Amino acid sequence: MSNIQLCYQCGKCTAICPVRRVVKTSPRSTIYNNTVYRTGSDDIWNCLTCGLCYDGCPQGVDYPEFVKEERDSKEDGDLAHKGVFTLLTDMMTDLEESRTSLDEAGNTDSKIGYYPGCLDFHDMFFNLDVDFRSIADSSMKLLNSIDLDPKLIKMKCCGHDQLWQGDKGTFEKLKDQNTKLIAQSGIEKLVTSCAECYRTLSQDYDLPVEVVHISQLLKDADLGIDSKTTVTYHDSCRLGRHMGEYEAPREALASAGSEVVEMKHNRNDSWCCGVSSMMNCNDRSKALRKARLDEAKDTGAQVLITTCPKCLAHLNCMKDEQESIEQYDYDIKDLTVFLAEQMGGK
Amino acid sequence: MSKLVGAVAVAGGGIAGIQSAIDLANSGLKVYLIEKGTSIGGKMAQLDKTFPTLDCSMCTLSPKLAEVSRHPNIELLTYSEITGIEGEAGDFTVKVKKKATYVDQDKCTACEICVSKCPAKVPNEYNEDQGVRKAIYLAFPQAVPRVFTIDAQHCLYLTKGKCGNCAKFCENDAINYEDKDEEVEINVGSVILSPGFTPFDASQLEQFRLDHPNVITSLQFERQLSSSGPYEGHVTLADGSHPNRIAWIQCVGSRSPEIGRGNCSSVCCMYATKEAMVAMEHDSELETTIFNIDVRAFGKGFEEFYQKAKNEKGIRFIRSRPSGVEVDPLTNQLSLKYEVEGDGINQEEFDMVVLSIGLTPSESSKQLAEISNVEIDDLGFIQTRIDSPMETSRPGIFVCGAVQAPKDIPDTVADASGAASKASSLLASERGTLITEKEYPPEKAIGDDIRTGVVVCRCGINIGSIVDVPDVVEYVKTLPGVAFAKEEVYACSSDSLEGISDMVREHDLNRVVVASCTPRTHEPLFQETLMEAGLNPYLFELANIREHCSWVHQKEKEKATKKAKDIIRMSTARVNLTQPLYTDKVEFNKDALVLGGGVAGMTAAIDIADKGFHVTLVEKGPELGGLLRTYTTLQDGRRTEDIIEPMIQKVVSHDTITVFTDTELVEQEGAVGNFTGKLKGIDVDEEIVFGVAVIATGANELKPDGYFSYGEYSNIVTQSELEQMMDTGVDAKNVVFIQCAGGRNDDRPYCSRACCTVAMKNAIQLKESDPGRNVYILYRDIRTFGKWEELYTKARELGVVFMRYTEDQEPEVTDRTVSVIDFLLGMNFEIDYDLLVLSAPMVTPETNETLAPLFKVPLDANKFFLEAHIKLRPVEFATDGVFLCGTAQAPKLVDEAVSQASAAASRATTILSKDYLETIGNISVVDPELCIGCGRCTLVCPFNAPELKEIVVETEEIIYTTKKSEINATVCKGCGSCAAECPTGAITPRHFTGPQIMAVIKAYVEGI
Repeated sequence: MSNIQLCYQCGKCTAICPVRRVVKTSPRSTIYNNTVYRTGSDDIWNCLTCGLCYDGCPQGVDYPEFVKEERDSKEDGDLAHKGVFTLLTDMMTDLEESRTSLDEAGNTDSKIGYYPGCLDFHDMFFNLDVDFRSIADSSMKLLNSIDLDPKLIKMKCCGHDQLWQGDKGTFEKLKDQNTKLIAQSGIEKLVTSCAECYRTLSQDYDLPVEVVHISQLLKDADLGIDSKTTVTYHDSCRLGRHMGEYEAPREALASAGSEVVEMKHNRNDSWCCGVSSMMNCNDRSKALRKARLDEAKDTGAQVLITTCPKCLAHLNCMKDEQESIEQYDYDIKDLTVFLAEQMGGK
Repeated sequence: MSKLVGAVAVAGGGIAGIQSAIDLANSGLKVYLIEKGTSIGGKMAQLDKTFPTLDCSMCTLSPKLAEVSRHPNIELLTYSEITGIEGEAGDFTVKVKKKATYVDQDKCTACEICVSKCPAKVPNEYNEDQGVRKAIYLAFPQAVPRVFTIDAQHCLYLTKGKCGNCAKFCENDAINYEDKDEEVEINVGSVILSPGFTPFDASQLEQFRLDHPNVITSLQFERQLSSSGPYEGHVTLADGSHPNRIAWIQCVGSRSPEIGRGNCSSVCCMYATKEAMVAMEHDSELETTIFNIDVRAFGKGFEEFYQKAKNEKGIRFIRSRPSGVEVDPLTNQLSLKYEVEGDGINQEEFDMVVLSIGLTPSESSKQLAEISNVEIDDLGFIQTRIDSPMETSRPGIFVCGAVQAPKDIPDTVADASGAASKASSLLASERGTLITEKEYPPEKAIGDDIRTGVVVCRCGINIGSIVDVPDVVEYVKTLPGVAFAKEEVYACSSDSLEGISDMVREHDLNRVVVASCTPRTHEPLFQETLMEAGLNPYLFELANIREHCSWVHQKEKEKATKKAKDIIRMSTARVNLTQPLYTDKVEFNKDALVLGGGVAGMTAAIDIADKGFHVTLVEKGPELGGLLRTYTTLQDGRRTEDIIEPMIQKVVSHDTITVFTDTELVEQEGAVGNFTGKLKGIDVDEEIVFGVAVIATGANELKPDGYFSYGEYSNIVTQSELEQMMDTGVDAKNVVFIQCAGGRNDDRPYCSRACCTVAMKNAIQLKESDPGRNVYILYRDIRTFGKWEELYTKARELGVVFMRYTEDQEPEVTDRTVSVIDFLLGMNFEIDYDLLVLSAPMVTPETNETLAPLFKVPLDANKFFLEAHIKLRPVEFATDGVFLCGTAQAPKLVDEAVSQASAAASRATTILSKDYLETIGNISVVDPELCIGCGRCTLVCPFNAPELKEIVVETEEIIYTTKKSEINATVCKGCGSCAAECPTGAITPRHFTGPQIMAVIKAYVEGI
């Protein structure tokens, strides 16, 4: 249940809201309208649920949670990619064998499981210069190199986007099906490489196993590399403000010999990639992406690292533009892919 | 000329005649397309795939067939022959005999009941007499016009007065046994002869044993490969089994002066390679061998295709010509005896032998030439000249295609457009005088209520005997939005069409669904009916319950009925959401820009200017004339200046041509009808506006530095340098030519097409000017294609010595000697030379790489400009309004460059002769808010319709400059590729919106 009744209308949320910088929107007045007049607002569809307002709220009002509940069962706003991912996931719930196409099994007796999420669907639908599948391969490689030898968990989609798009029905189906699968799998610890999966499986599921993000296992691992690369780290909202994990990815990068330089907005103050839960891709959200890419450019880093495949897709989408006006000459990579590449043949 | 008539008769309905007709009709002239057979389409309709891309022949041809059949300016006279041509250029009277078809074309609905009832069996000509057809028949499934014909020679009723089944069973009373041949006279300003060729009759060469059932012609093999052929695409032997080893014998009826067929047929090497490749795709175990003299892979992409066939696909090319096919009298086994180069005789067994038969002029084309009173050459082809390859000896009568010389499809298509250009220049003042535009009543307001009418067609028994049509009609009445539904026996018959119009008016309908057959042939017909009833044509949907239902579910009547309901439910759901869409008429600039002042550029400029349009001709160099200036003589013995100088005179004296020399185009923007550009040169700095552009920027002869010691010794020259020397007399007793010097290698994998013919011409001149002189030509393959084979024959007669080398063992050159391993003899020769002449390939100018992005047009792997379609659109780019011709497209000879240039002019004229540019209704549109400017639409659009335009986005706080896509409505064809690619859903194809597609899917799901 959201706690919007705690709001005392100070308006700090609206002042720091990243969406406010590109669209006329006000979390404060949305809360006010809802609590006082009981009227809805289109603003709930503009929200990126990035959590910056929650993080800054003196009263600890969980506005994203409110938005999530408000969206439930309502006709959704703008879904990017014509809602194809949503449609797919919806279909997935009706089919028995519809899960990752990754064929690697890993160590099938392991008590540790690795769940790649929907990376293979990203490869199918995004015409980007990004190999999403390599995130899964890299994750398995890294986990094997620190002797965790996980097995690959072939679940359906975690349902993150459906939950945040307001399709709770589909989410609940996925949750039930996946929870059963985990229970049958015999694992004790579930590793994700995706910030959204991590948030969803630990906060919105009720799993009998420990859920960790891969960066937490890599932060003091000795991968035997000394990369000497200057990198900057983009905190995804799901791993950062939602889950409070700011340092593990940075430590993993540092222990691999990279110099981490910070963007102006970092950690709990981090700016958003602009598109959350596959919603609202348009010229306003692009403005947010541009702002973020400009900040990264200012650091002079060679690589921009992130831990969320959505951030990776959206930032790369802008970087790959056909006739782009701005040039960004750094790479944008997932943490696991960067580290695995640095390991080379090891 | 006293009188000019704005109409043209085109004689021959193959791909040549079709292309001429379409070009002329689109330029505002009335066209009579006269075809001897029952359908247009010609030989191309019989082909399975086309080389070198292995595109399906029928798939690329059939849209053109449909275009002809629907074109309001084209009158189709099939089953007709020309019997006389009187008059003169500008005003001819053409007599045409229309043969009786015994079927009333207006009543026949092509239901095919007659065919199923006809007892007579006749060898099927379409399948080259493999299998049978009936006496009442359609030439082939995609035939145009789609009307049946009774073959009077084989009809039992017409020959013996028996049977009469077709009349008995025809439900539409379309059979008329009393039908008579009819003579008509048409008045035209010009005639184009395009009767094509006939395949060489190999039965006259008994040694090739065409009487043996497993020896077939290449055209028969082509039909075997085709899925519409006699064995549904399976290559089949007489006993029904499939062959494991097939041999092709090349040059059957070509390169054979002893039987009067001295010419090369130009296409056989490539079609044999293609046939072998396709056959191997059908059966990966198949072994294929092509016996040849030289492999003539001279066209664009051909050499690469040949190398792929040889090196990757494992097709065996044996350079030997078997003298005949041997048949074992006991086992009936086929075998071929052939000479192995340098290694005696070999005999090999094959399961099937394919004779690669040549292209010859048909008897009827010779008759047509006689009727037309035009000259033919010794080989029976219609005579033309190098600088006027479409002009016959009789003014006003033009020629195109394989009746002029053996040629492939793209050359034929270029010729056809070129001939159209010539006719259209002659009749430029009469454009638009003999054509009529159809008028429709004003559209009625459709209001908000959806009132959909549905017509369910029985198509005689085609649908009616499988699908329970009355049940379907009752069901349809219950669907949302349906205000009225009825059935028809034939929805497409003219009384039914009137009935649809009446139905719309009586029931005040604002949407219509016809459930019948394929939209490919019938949608335009019904859309026209809607327009006659005052409804927008986009408020229509065709539900295909024949091809998609009754034909494929003949044994499951109940399921078919359910499926028909499903299909109609889906179509109705969609039609309910359709909205009227309108075309837009846009004023445009009618000037042309021609880049390149060589023979191609000058011809294109003259041809466009002759039609009354202004042309800006831009030449990079200081003078007009181009590549041909570096040569001195033509193959026909004339001097090059004999054709260049008159052309230059014509250009500079032309009222509507402005010439810029020493000038280049440096900037270019816009789209068809509204291009802007900037010319820069010595003393030139000018902005120009133009509606169309022709790229004729040509090619250069490679300076073969590094090949065969060129550049090291002064007595090693190129062919063009030799020609300059020959003007003052060549003082050399021993002359050696090396062919393919710098070509057909890893750097330039293509064949340069012209060099063998040029070398022959020069060798003959050297020999004729001093018969005591020794001339040696070292070659890999001699590729004197078409009629130029006669030069090769003549050179040998004069004593020129030919020695073949291979790419692995190239000749070695020192200052005085060439040493070469003669592959035929397997011996090493040292030749002392006084003069070494290198045949270097044509190469592209560096400017191609700056010009291509300027016009957003592609280059091929060899940096030549890449046309829109290698077969059927040889002189245009996918980008509307931009054309190409000459050696900018690929290496070629002068006559071919001229033909292409006229073709480009003709294609350009089809745009320039319009009063305005008209957009189509169902274009795609961009929602600028959702567009993030990623540019993916620009990558997938085949027509360059979307363009990224810079704009400033102002949000609450962040202001940034970005690009957004804008779709040029005059260029968009509504294919929807951009919409499918757009990641944000910003693009909507107006006639296939998201809600419409979702409605169809939802309607489908309701039924399962």
